[in-house]
This record gives sequence, C-alpha cells and structure tokens, in this order.
Amino acid sequence: MVPPERVERGAPAQSAHETPAQSAHETPEQRTTRFERDAMPLLDQLYAAALRMTRNPPDAEDLVQETYLKAYGAFESFRVGTNLRAWLYRILTNTYINGYRKRQRQPVVHPTEEITDWQLAQAAQHTSTGLRSAEMDALDRLPDSDVKDALSQLAEDFRMAVYLADVEGFAYKEIAEIMGTPIGTVMSRLHRGRKQLRDMLTGVARERGFLRDAEVAS
Amino acid sequence: MSDAEPGDTDCREVLAQLWLFLDNECDHERRDLLRRHLEDCGPCLEEFGLEGHLKALLARKCGGDHAPDALKQRLRQSIREIMMRQAHAGLSSER
Repeated sequence: MVPPERVERGAPAQSAHETPAQSAHETPEQRTTRFERDAMPLLDQLYAAALRMTRNPPDAEDLVQETYLKAYGAFESFRVGTNLRAWLYRILTNTYINGYRKRQRQPVVHPTEEITDWQLAQAAQHTSTGLRSAEMDALDRLPDSDVKDALSQLAEDFRMAVYLADVEGFAYKEIAEIMGTPIGTVMSRLHRGRKQLRDMLTGVARERGFLRDAEVAS
Repeated sequence: MSDAEPGDTDCREVLAQLWLFLDNECDHERRDLLRRHLEDCGPCLEEFGLEGHLKALLARKCGGDHAPDALKQRLRQSIREIMMRQAHAGLSSER
C-alpha cells in the first residue's frame, strides 16, 4: 500500500495572501485593513464559541467584542503566517477566563481532574450487544437544541475542549495552546467530556422515547 | 469476535486509542494498525462508529451560529475609531 500523495493543499494559497507581512513600517491604516481582511471573517466562528462559553447571546456579544478589540490592539505582535484562528481563540479564552467570567452570574463548576487518568479511567471494554446502531439512530433524531443543551451542561473546561476539537476541528496541540494547558490535560478533558456528553445524550434520547432502556448498551 | 488472537492488537488498546484515530492524532503506522483491527473486529468497529457518529453529530449541531450584524458594525466602527486615534498619536509617540 502506497501512502497517498501528500499534496500540500491550502498552504500555498494561504501564504500567497499572507505575504504582505507587517513590515516595520506598516501604517495603522494598513494594519487595520489587514485585520479587517483576515480577522473579521472569523467573527461568526468566534461568536459561536463565545456562545458555548457564556451560554447566552448578550454575554457572548460582549465577550466577542472585547476579544476583537484586544486582538486588534495586539495585532502588530501577531506573526504573519502563524495560525490566526488559534491566536484569536486564545485571546477569546483568556479574555473569558481572566476577566469576563468573574462578572458572570452563573457559578462556575470546576471539574476535578488529574492529568494522566484519562487512560486509566477508560473503561476499555466493549459490549457486543449489536444494539449500538439503535443508539446512533436515537442520537440522530435529537433536535439541535438538545445537543447544544447537553454540551452546555458540561463543566466549562470539558465543554471548551470538546467544542474546540469536535466543532472547530482544532488539533490537540492547538487546543493545548488555546487553553494554556498541557496536551495530556486536553486529552483528559476530551475523554471525560465526551463520555459525559454521550451519557447525557443517550439519557435525553431515552426521555424522548427514541431509545428504550434495553437498547442502551452499557 | 474471537478471543486473543496472538500478535493482533488488543481490543483494550484499540478502544483506548479510538479517539486518537478519530481526532486524526496518530501517525500512519498506528492508523494502519488500528484500521486493520477494526476491519476484523465487529464490536470495536461498532464502538468506533458510535464515537465517530457522536463527533460528527456535535460538529453538525453545535456550530454555525452567526454573530449579529449590529455587533459586526459596532466592531468595525470601534476599530476605525481606534485607528484614527492611533494615526493622530502615531507621530508624537516616539520617545
């Protein structure tokens, strides 16, 4: 088996549009244009993430606004050619954790976690009941709001890790940078968060009558 | 599922690494190993399918929100205002 050809898709196109690097003498106008061109298109994504963090639209708006103004203020220090999306998410996360969260009404639940337990905690056993497809069908039938609700019920650190990995598609390394934690912690959070989420969603599916007790393979 | 095939990858090990596979976080060698196991092991494959399904479900249902237009406009305006101030202060900021 020959490994598929590794064509570097995307890379050339990106560098082509990122080459007008911030020269030492970039004017505020040029920098602003660059910011509007590169950062503003990511606003919807950042807003969606902020919604998952704050769990309500007005707070999400405030958080995104603060994030973007900070990002704009620090844009000179952003290294062209590095990952702008990850950079913005890092600012978003920091803004949320360091300042914003304190002002929020909802109490924060801190998950207890140990960095290395994700493998130990793993109940690495499968039950060959053959009923998994029932669970899949049941999950598919859940309305979007149920899935969003379930995600929003996860502890914050778990929620963000799962969101960044599964919705935004960030790599572990990027999530580690965004959240300012070691990769092991990211993996632990993902593992626990996904496990809880799956249990929760299965529970909701059962409540909704999409899944009978006997069909839950666990 | 036959029990304990010698030389084959252990189910426990495979299950512990399913998410590395799904998250595209393992190298080619490991991927091939896992893929081969999944081809032969129905229960592991089912678990793989379900976890992959969960991942896809989240991606499909938990993103895609749009920021309000008012927020976008407000931001653009703020940024332009800051820029103007900087442009004014720019020359006098050298010390």
